[in-house]
Amino acid sequence: MTPVLDVILAEDNIVQRAFLARMIERLGYRIIEAEDGREALELVRTTGAQILVSDYHMPYLNGIELARAVRGLALDHYVYIILITSTELSDLSAEALEAGADDFLPKGSNQARLQARMRAASRMVSHAGELAEQHRILKEANERIQQDLKAAALAQRQLLPDLHKDILGVHIASAFVPSAVVSGDMFGCFALPDNKLCIYAVDVAGHGINASLLSVAIGHLITPEYFGKFAFDADGAPDPASLISNLNLRFCFADSDNYFTMFCAIIDVRTGDMDICQAGYPSPVCVATDGDAHFIGEGGFPVGMFPYATFENVKARFDVGGLLVICSDAAPEAEDPQGTPFGDLRLRELVARVRSADADGIPNIIINALNDWRGGKALEDDLTVLALKRTKARD
Amino acid sequence: MINTTKHDHDIVAVRPGAERLTAFNAKTFKDEVVALIDDGVTSLLIDFKDVTFLDSSGLGALAGILKKIGHRGDLVICGLNSDITQMFRICRMDRVFKIYRDVPTALQTMSEAT
Repeated sequence: MTPVLDVILAEDNIVQRAFLARMIERLGYRIIEAEDGREALELVRTTGAQILVSDYHMPYLNGIELARAVRGLALDHYVYIILITSTELSDLSAEALEAGADDFLPKGSNQARLQARMRAASRMVSHAGELAEQHRILKEANERIQQDLKAAALAQRQLLPDLHKDILGVHIASAFVPSAVVSGDMFGCFALPDNKLCIYAVDVAGHGINASLLSVAIGHLITPEYFGKFAFDADGAPDPASLISNLNLRFCFADSDNYFTMFCAIIDVRTGDMDICQAGYPSPVCVATDGDAHFIGEGGFPVGMFPYATFENVKARFDVGGLLVICSDAAPEAEDPQGTPFGDLRLRELVARVRSADADGIPNIIINALNDWRGGKALEDDLTVLALKRTKARD
Repeated sequence: MINTTKHDHDIVAVRPGAERLTAFNAKTFKDEVVALIDDGVTSLLIDFKDVTFLDSSGLGALAGILKKIGHRGDLVICGLNSDITQMFRICRMDRVFKIYRDVPTALQTMSEAT
C-alpha cells in the first residue's frame, strides 16, 4: 500500500483554500494548510512534505518567490511544486518554471484535471524516494567498505615493526611509506640461535585489499620458528632458498595472479658471512668497509607465480663497518616530474654517500631524497627502506 | 584497450594500447588477451614497443596470460625497453618468456616453428 502523502496547500483566501483542500483530500492526500507564502516556506522546511500546491497572489511571498525560496533550501528530498494560475499569469509561466515550479493548475480546474496533476506529482515523489533509498544503501555500503579497508590497513601496519635497535651487534632501522590506505609490504628481522641474524622483506604485487590480506598472512607465517625450521639445511647451514621454495609452493594458487617478491638474508654475526636469496625483490646495496658500494644478488623468480620455480642461495660478505640497504622497487621506480625514474645507479650512489651516517637516520635520508626527486608528489607505490649497519664484531 | 593484428600462420600480434601497464589497467589488459585465447588464438605475440613502464601488477597479468595459454599455444613477447628488460632479468622472466627484439624477428622465428 502506498503511504498517504502530505500536501502543503498555500492559499491566502480562506474560502478557496477550504474548497481546494477538500478536493485534494478526496484524492487521498493529507492537507497541511498555509495562509501565506512565508508560512508555506516554513512548513516545507519543517514537515518533510514533498508536494506543494501554491496560489500565486499571497502576502509576504508570492507563488514564484515561494518556489524560488523552496529551491534555495538545502533539503535532502525533492519538493514537487504546482502553481495555481489565473489567466493574467500565463505571461509569468517561463519565470515560474525558472524559479522552480514543476507544473501549473489553472484556477477553477475540475476534479479530473486536479487528479491528473496530483498523480504526476505522486509519481515524481515516489521515484525520488526510490532514488534516495538507493543512494542511502550505496552510501552505507561504501562506509562499510571504507571501514573494512581501514581495518585491513591497520592489521598490516601493526605487523610492520618500526625497527630502531641493535640485534647481535647489527644496528637495524626501518621506514615504511604507504602509497594508499591499504598496502602489501611486509618485513621483519630477528635473532636465531648460533649467532644468526635473519632479515626479510616482502612486496606483494598490486595494491588494495588483496595485496594487504596476503601481506598479513605472510607476516603472521614468517616467525623466528618458521625461519629456524625452513631456512637451514640438514647440516644446519643457512639455506634461505629453501624457506622461499616452501613459501612458493604454499602460495601458488591456480587461477590467481597474486604473487610477491622477497629478499631474505641470514647473517652470521661472528664471521660476517651472509647467505641471501633474492626472489624478484630489487637487489640491496651493500657498502663494504672500504667504501665500495655494490648491488648483491643475481635476481630470482617471484614467489607464488610459478610452482616449478627454483630458488638459489648467494653468498655475500657483511663485515664490521659494512652497510646493507634494502629498498622496495618503489625507490628505483620513483619518477621525477618529467617521468625519469630514480633508477638503480642513483640509488647506489646515494647509499654510498650516506654510508657514514647513523643507521637510524639512513631510511629517512633516502625517503627525503626520493621526495625531492618526485618534486614533493606522493609515491605511486609502497616504499620500504631497511638499513643494517654492522657496528661491532661478536665473539 | 588492446590492438590486434593478424599475421600469417594464424599469429596474432597484440599491442597493449597503453604506455604504462600498471595496477590501473593490468586486469583489463589480461582479460582482453585471455578473451583472444578463449576465442581460439594459439600463437600470440605481445609487442611492448610502445610500453615504457610495467609494474608488478603488469608483470602479474603477463604471467597470468602465460599460464592461461599453457601448453596449448605459444606466447612470445618483443620490443622490451632497457628498464623492462632489467626487471625481467631480476625476476627471471627472461627464462619463462620467449623474448625477441622486434615484431619482424619474432614473426620469423614463430613462423619457422610452425
